Amino acid sequence: MKDKEIDEILKRAAQAPHEVDPALLDRVSKSIGSSLGPVRPLPPAWVLVGGLALICAAVALAGAARAGFYGIQKLSVLERALIFPALGIFVWLGATAAAGEMIPGSRRRAAPGLLLGAGSLMLLVVFAVLFHDYRTDHFVAQGIVCLTVGLLHAIPAALASWFLVRRGFAVNPVAAGLVLGTLAGLAGVTMLELHCANFEAPHVMLWHTAVIPVSAAAGAVAGWAARFHRG
Amino acid sequence: MARYQQGDFTAATTLIHRLSPQLHRFFLVQFASRGDADDLLQETWLRIHEVRHTYRAGEPVLPWFYAIARHIRVDHYRKASRTAAREERLEQMPEVAAALPPGSGATPDLEALLAPLPESQREVIEMLKIAGMSLEEVARATSSSVGSVKQKAHRAYEKLRERLSGMGGVGEG
Repeated sequence: MKDKEIDEILKRAAQAPHEVDPALLDRVSKSIGSSLGPVRPLPPAWVLVGGLALICAAVALAGAARAGFYGIQKLSVLERALIFPALGIFVWLGATAAAGEMIPGSRRRAAPGLLLGAGSLMLLVVFAVLFHDYRTDHFVAQGIVCLTVGLLHAIPAALASWFLVRRGFAVNPVAAGLVLGTLAGLAGVTMLELHCANFEAPHVMLWHTAVIPVSAAAGAVAGWAARFHRG
Repeated sequence: MARYQQGDFTAATTLIHRLSPQLHRFFLVQFASRGDADDLLQETWLRIHEVRHTYRAGEPVLPWFYAIARHIRVDHYRKASRTAAREERLEQMPEVAAALPPGSGATPDLEALLAPLPESQREVIEMLKIAGMSLEEVARATSSSVGSVKQKAHRAYEKLRERLSGMGGVGEG
C-alpha cells in the first residue's frame, strides 16, 4: 500500500462530519463571555530573552562587585576571551529556551535536557583546555564554598527570571523549571568566574560547573511541585 | 485571535465554534471517551481563556491552541493516574478492521483507524492529516523538532501500511 493510499484513507476519515454538542459550546461561550476583557499580550520574545540575559549578567556582576573581581583580574586575555563568550552564548541560548518554554507553541530549537548537557559539556571543555594546574589543595573545602556561593547567586537570578516570565504559561512546568534553573545556575557560574581566583583544573571543572546541573535540578523540582500544586 | 485578546465576544464565540470540533476530535483520537473529550474540551477553552495573553500576533495560531490542548490532555491522564485503566481501554479498542468496512466508498472511522498507533504517533498524524497543520506547526505544538515529527509520521505510516495491507487491500475496493 502506498503513502498516497493511506493519505486518501485518512483524508476520507477526516472528512467525516464531527459534531460537538451545541449545548457544550454555548456553555463554554457563556463562561468565557462572563470574564471577557481586553488583555495585554506578552512582550515580544526578544524583550524576554534580553531581560533574562540581563538578569543573569546583573546578578553575576553585582555578586562579584560585592565579593571582589579576583578571578577576572587573574585570568589572561585568552582565558577571558574564551570563558566569557562561552558563558554568554550559553546564557543567550538558555534565555531563548526559557522564553520559548513560557509561550505555548513556540519553536523549540533544543530540548532543555540537551541544552543543559551540551552547555555544561562546552564549559567543561573550555575549562579543560585553559586550566592545567591539576593540584587538588583543599579540594572539598574550597569546592563546597564555591558551589554554595554559586548557588546562592542562582537563587536571586531564578527569582528575578521567574518574575519576568511570570505572565507566561509553561505548557511543561518541569521543562520550564529546568531551563530557568539552568539559566540561574549560569548566573552563579559567571559570578564565580569573575570572583574565584582558584584556577586548579579539578576545582573549576567540578565545583564551578556543578552549579549549573544542581540549579537546573532544583528548577525542575520546583516545576514539578508547581505542576503538582496546580493539580 | 487578536480581536479575542481585545475582548471581542463575537470573535471568541467564532473561535470556539470553529476550533472546537477539531480539538474535540483530537481528544477522541487519544482514546478519550465522548464524555472525557467534552470535559477536556471545556477545560481547554477555560485554560485558553486564562492564558490568551500569551498568544503573540503574527505567530501561527494552531500550534498555540494544540500545545495547550495537549497539555490539558497530559495533565488529565497524569491526574487520574489511569495507566491501568488505559491499558484496559486499549484492549477494548476496536480492531482496525472495524475502521474500514469493505468497500472503497466507505468512510473509515478515524479513532479506530489510528487506534493501533502509539500515542505520540497518533497525535502527530491527527495534527498533520486531520487538522491540516504543517510539519513546522506540529513541531511547535509538540515541543519537538521537525525531524522528530517526520520520523513519527513515517513510523505511523509504516504501522498503518502493515495493518491495512494485512487486511488484504481493504479500502481498495
